Amino acid sequence: MTMPLDTLADVTDEALLILYANGDGAAARSLTLRLTPRVLAYAARMLGDRAEAEDIAQEAMLRLWRIAADWRQGEAKVSTWLYRVAANLCTDRLRRRRGVALDDAPEPEDGAPSVLHGMVDADRMRALDAALAALPERQRQAVVLRHIEGMTNPDIAEIMEIGVEAVESLTARGKRALAAALSGKRAALGYEDV
Amino acid sequence: MNDLDDLFALARAEEPSPALLARILADAEAVQAKPAPRRSRWRFLSVLLAGAGAFGGMATAALAGVWIGMAEPAPLAAVTEAFLPDTVDLIPTYEFLAEE
Repeated sequence: MTMPLDTLADVTDEALLILYANGDGAAARSLTLRLTPRVLAYAARMLGDRAEAEDIAQEAMLRLWRIAADWRQGEAKVSTWLYRVAANLCTDRLRRRRGVALDDAPEPEDGAPSVLHGMVDADRMRALDAALAALPERQRQAVVLRHIEGMTNPDIAEIMEIGVEAVESLTARGKRALAAALSGKRAALGYEDV
Repeated sequence: MNDLDDLFALARAEEPSPALLARILADAEAVQAKPAPRRSRWRFLSVLLAGAGAFGGMATAALAGVWIGMAEPAPLAAVTEAFLPDTVDLIPTYEFLAEE
């Protein structure tokens, strides 16, 4: 898809939300184009399921539309608020899923060589999702927000309602575990040395 | 780990489908099209007076005023009788200053 240009690129999320609440259609479009990819990527990595992630993205955005008229300016960043909503929605989904065995989670293997070289993108994303799914939920959330969404630690702390040091610890442990898990994927995906 | 950073970059590049964007925009328009909820007189007053808490305070103050007005101030009368002589000049005059 060719993404239309965001003509209100210089306007802050909050200003767009106020414009939207006042009936501005272009603001709705700008916010949709700006925020949907972020919240979708977050949900996709948290859930490892594209269709479910789309549901979450739509629901989170719907809640944003609904709160627009009552938005309290200056209290929270729109993106932080939206991630928190998405995080709660993902947690609900994951809780509902619990009980379903996560047997397809990868087992870390040590000593594998550069593992992902040569895999096609779809396989690599599957590998990432599987490795993420093996992480404890809070670690996964912190890693996705930090390394995929590119958020700052203070913002992540606000979204997860924990301290900045706890965020640093979660991302560090999560990234280490992810690297270990992915080091075993090469063989699992059939990329043995040829 | 470079592989991991590459993967993160790949995950960032994920784009929403046109169908999803269309659904979200349709939601936005539907919410926008809904008429704003009619603000009742009660809601207007409560916003004006900073919420129901202010109403509670006002009601308490009003009841206290009524009670104080109705109740016989007997304890106070007992105190004044005990400590003050029969006639008390509560508003003293300053005539003595004029006397030579």
